[in-house]
Amino acid sequence: MAARGWICTDESAKEMLSRVSAERSLMLLPPLHRVPLRLGNVVEIAGPSPSAKTQILIQAAVYCILPKEWRGVHYGGLEHLVMFIDLDCRFDILCLSQSLKHRLMETSGSGNKVNWEQNDDPWGSGTEEPNIGYDEELFAACMRRFLYIRCYDSFEFLATLKTLRYRLQRARETHGVTAHFLMIDSIGAFYWVDRASTSLHLESNSRKRLSLQSISETVVEEIRKLLLVHPMLVLATKATILGDTYSTNEVKRTSMKLSSNDPSNLRTVTGGPQKLSYREFMPLVWQSFVTHRILVRAADDDPANSKYQSRSIFLSEWLMPSLNFSDKFIVRDAGVFVVS
Amino acid sequence: MGSLKSLECEYPIIDSDFQNFCASHGIFSVEDILIHDLYMLVAFAEQQSTSERLKQGITQILSIIDGQHQPWLNGMELLEDAQQNKQVLSTGCEGIDMLLHGGLCVGHLTELVGPSSAGKTQICLKVASGVATRYMGGVVFIDTGNSFSPLRIAHFINQIPDTIFKEVKQNILEKVMSQILCHSVFDIFAMLDVVHQLEYSLRSQVQTGADQVRLLIVDSISSLITPILGGSGSHGRALMISAGFLLKKLAHEHNLAVVVTNHMVGGEGGILKPALGESWKSIPHVRLLLSRDPGSSICHMSILKHSYMASGRAARFMI
Repeated sequence: MAARGWICTDESAKEMLSRVSAERSLMLLPPLHRVPLRLGNVVEIAGPSPSAKTQILIQAAVYCILPKEWRGVHYGGLEHLVMFIDLDCRFDILCLSQSLKHRLMETSGSGNKVNWEQNDDPWGSGTEEPNIGYDEELFAACMRRFLYIRCYDSFEFLATLKTLRYRLQRARETHGVTAHFLMIDSIGAFYWVDRASTSLHLESNSRKRLSLQSISETVVEEIRKLLLVHPMLVLATKATILGDTYSTNEVKRTSMKLSSNDPSNLRTVTGGPQKLSYREFMPLVWQSFVTHRILVRAADDDPANSKYQSRSIFLSEWLMPSLNFSDKFIVRDAGVFVVS
Repeated sequence: MGSLKSLECEYPIIDSDFQNFCASHGIFSVEDILIHDLYMLVAFAEQQSTSERLKQGITQILSIIDGQHQPWLNGMELLEDAQQNKQVLSTGCEGIDMLLHGGLCVGHLTELVGPSSAGKTQICLKVASGVATRYMGGVVFIDTGNSFSPLRIAHFINQIPDTIFKEVKQNILEKVMSQILCHSVFDIFAMLDVVHQLEYSLRSQVQTGADQVRLLIVDSISSLITPILGGSGSHGRALMISAGFLLKKLAHEHNLAVVVTNHMVGGEGGILKPALGESWKSIPHVRLLLSRDPGSSICHMSILKHSYMASGRAARFMI
């Protein structure tokens, strides 16, 4: 049954027209706002853990599942599906639901507007719901547009990708809309396991060996083919799994300058030759598949920034296309905000 | 997953003809199928005289593959699972419960890092006795350094104030103590063995109510992993990551809270940092830093990483 999808016709002319006309650039929220992105692009969000990578995905997901308009209120979303493939197995649905609730309440502006700056933890009393200031029905409709799967190893990931086309078709039938975002969190999760599996196969030469290389090739091939018929924006996070051995000095220098209490020199510091430290580890086939890359990391703790209380400050910088400056952002319950 | 041959009896369409066709393209198992381009395979099948049957076989394989991954869930289904099964377990230690908004999250892998004698093992013992007492749930304690102390646990249980009568107290003590199972392991393979067995028993018997295993503690996981790391090979790291995923799978699928402890090593400039390196960092959901001033009995705990709480928040408490 699952194969029916790729044996029969791909799409009608009408579907193609609507697909092509949908391929305009998307306006994403910070810190992805600097570069115009289109369906079909592959964006990599790289950074050490923790650096708010998953938060950025969640924010983008909320934007995608929100409707453009609902009962006369303008929400400005895409009203499309999000396919979220969780390889890290650390996703917490409560993050998404809280973020979505905040957006719904903010937009509908109904009554109790909470001051986010001071309300440090809406989680305080656990399951207790805040005074409802959002539409339950709309909330449920949005949440249903978020489709999630977790994979515990590369085989499950490959099996997911191989059957994703069929899944997308079925999802389109049930929801009446297509998926716009494909999220992978995070792409290097099984790097070490796959790398070690290489040497286990030393049999015949004709057999394609199971290795990091062959797995990455298949992943890229499957996504590439999928994007031809189902254009989606691919957002993949990548955790830095290698420590810095060479760039130690640079990191230190950068961090010292950053904490020198002068935000104006921020851009010059991280621009130029001393980029935020970054070492590639994924196979070339994945690297060349990526069309856009943004690097994020936590800024060094600086007591001078007490106006953001205990919130961590993060830095983001586009590496591809290379923009020679970085943004500072913080994560609040309501989402990601650029500061300074 | 297995060889195509082993699938033959269950799915007659995968006959010897189909197997030969696959073998001529270097495919012998379902894993091979996964790294092959099925579009190409279909194209090859079309050139054969028995193309219809071969294509049916490929379709069959695909539906087998479709059963190999976890189910797709939508946001509402996830939320329902989270609200029904992923409660917060109170640790019995007020300071920690306050810091974590109620305690340990079921389904999460929580990591405690701290220098030696910061109180990591003490917290593990305290949490084990707290969960066993309050929820009457099972606790599995994987002990790697002979640091498990039943006396200490008994001491914690006896601290509970509302048991006045000695007999009642004794009764509770016995019941709670029998809920805590300790396994002494001294290498990673023994630990994986214990965890696999636990997974098997959780899967085979549906446990409900009182006897359900609620908490798994590994104290300390770093002493098992550190010896296999190092060198240029990737096998040590592969084992480390696999162990991490196994624990996360157990936590999520069987609704347990998992706590592991990790020690600290000297980083650049002599500043202490958690051991096990960058690759391990992305494994735990929650990372808590524990420290204690020398000579003082007050512990200091701060959040290094949390899936939804801001990092940097801290608490002080006494055990």
